[in-house]
Amino acid sequence: MTGEPLLRARGLTKVFGTGRTQVTAVAGVDLDVGPGEIVLVMGPSGSGKTTLLTMIGCLLRPTSGRIEIDGLDVTALPPREQPRVRRTLVGFVFQTFNLLDTLSAQENVEVALNIGGVKGEAAARRARALLEDAGLGGRLHFPAHALSAGERQRVAIARALANDPPLLLADEPTANLDTRHGRDVMALLRRLAHRQRSAAVVVSHDERLRAIADRVLRLEDGRVTRVEGATAARRLPVRHPVRAS
Amino acid sequence: MRACADGAAAPAGDDTVVVPVARRNLLAEKGRFAMSVGGVAFAVLLVLIVVGLYRGWSGAGSVYSRLPGELWVAQTGTTDPFHSTSLVPAGREARLARLPGVVAALPVYARHLAFTAPGGGRVDTYAMAIEAPRGLSLPAEARRYFPAPGHVVIDRVLAGELGAGAGDRLDVLGRRVVVDPPTSGGNKIVQFSFFNPAEGAALLGEPGRVSYYLLVTSRGADLDAVGRAAVAAVPRSEAHTGAEFSSAFSRLVSSGFLSVVGVLVGIGFVVGGAVIALTTYTATVEKARDFGVLKAVGAPASFLYRIVVWQSVAVGLTGSLLGIAVSAAVADRIGRSVPEFVTELRALDVLGVFVAALATSVVASFVPVRRLDRIDPAMVFRA
Repeated sequence: MTGEPLLRARGLTKVFGTGRTQVTAVAGVDLDVGPGEIVLVMGPSGSGKTTLLTMIGCLLRPTSGRIEIDGLDVTALPPREQPRVRRTLVGFVFQTFNLLDTLSAQENVEVALNIGGVKGEAAARRARALLEDAGLGGRLHFPAHALSAGERQRVAIARALANDPPLLLADEPTANLDTRHGRDVMALLRRLAHRQRSAAVVVSHDERLRAIADRVLRLEDGRVTRVEGATAARRLPVRHPVRAS
Repeated sequence: MRACADGAAAPAGDDTVVVPVARRNLLAEKGRFAMSVGGVAFAVLLVLIVVGLYRGWSGAGSVYSRLPGELWVAQTGTTDPFHSTSLVPAGREARLARLPGVVAALPVYARHLAFTAPGGGRVDTYAMAIEAPRGLSLPAEARRYFPAPGHVVIDRVLAGELGAGAGDRLDVLGRRVVVDPPTSGGNKIVQFSFFNPAEGAALLGEPGRVSYYLLVTSRGADLDAVGRAAVAAVPRSEAHTGAEFSSAFSRLVSSGFLSVVGVLVGIGFVVGGAVIALTTYTATVEKARDFGVLKAVGAPASFLYRIVVWQSVAVGLTGSLLGIAVSAAVADRIGRSVPEFVTELRALDVLGVFVAALATSVVASFVPVRRLDRIDPAMVFRA
């Protein structure tokens, strides 16, 4: 990593419960991610990957530690300020896509733009451009539920990048995709993250994702046990544009 | 540093997708939407019909404002025509007619009495017999109150209760009268009948007395001054305007029915509000994950509230418009087949109910909004 990190986490800890039921899900994790860098967090189930991601995404307050996104200490913000951080500084990609099924592909992206303050025709233009970039120019007005799994995940990536966030968080983005679609989504994630100079943290069990990662963090029992500097990313050809399946 | 969170304005107003999200959430279950709209329409129907009935019954006293006269000279202590009997000396009409500002003075015979129906039943009525003003041309609406000798004018409600129609003969206090074509108006509480003064004097049964004098005044006459002069001309009398007698009837209806009307209107709004709240709440619970996603991607509370409020108002608006249309149709249809079902749908009442229904739908949205606040956005990470 070079230059100032877009994400800086120090001593990040999350403890659930008290007394005999107390569980430490994340214990003292430090993490820096720079612009255009993709960090893959891997580990067995229950290792604290998703807890780490939800804390970085301001959806869960850490028990202790500090998170800075683009220089802003988000852990110091009151809870009512957290939505503002999520809509301007963070883009989410979920395992189950989490599109609004009743809306079209374009409207799903427009939702995020509207929430970020972009309205009307400007939002529609931006949504179309993002979806065309994701290879979905022919699916703009398809209802989300009518899209294939790969297409839905690409809409989700377009939505995550809609407001040009400095930080992209992805939770098992290929878990529900077959090999071909998983590869397409990975390539898209890498290409767009690099182009927008976003920092990306990807949580996954999927070994294929090593191909797009600049670094790999191994998490076990809430602690970082190993950090691998992956050069494998270069092995994955970045297709341009990714075609709709 | 890129666009910083600090100072990023929360979106408000013309969001492109608030309406599509809300509309599609609402229409995801078309059957439920239809039942909700039907429930609100039924509540609005209930409210409007009850208010319409109240207005219709209250308005029955307006006969006093349609008669050709402005001042009623009554016996001292007369509160209104329905709760007190008025008897004043007969033969004062000529003197009253000479008072400044008076065009004509008409003796009036009035009392409660019972008709014997052709089938044998007895039906109470408030009977009046008014001397026709001489030398004055009456509007067509007023002429119907002055039947020929041996005839009686009754309204359709009374005709229905008696089972009598035009040309039928009715017995009243031993006399037989012919029914003129029934007029509109009348209601279940008081039914008016009008006789010729030839029958009036006999029906009243008080020789040398009349019930009232009805004074027709000139345009612009000072009614207070005319009233004072009339009272001076008739012993033990006092003067009332037609509007006072008319409103006395409204008070009579109000005293008996306003509390009932209030309860029914309240129930209508509670039912309507509950239907809206339940529909929107259910739609919110069903789409909890979608709302969680919106929260996760940073939607401010106001953005989510607008979706829920839009849904509530859409149900309230659609249901209200349907309810108003159905109320008008029901009032018209029932009014034709059941004459005593007198409803008067006033534009202001309809507007008031419409606005109140919309306000209720906004209030009803508070229930799902509270549910919305409890949705944890972190739920979206659970598969």
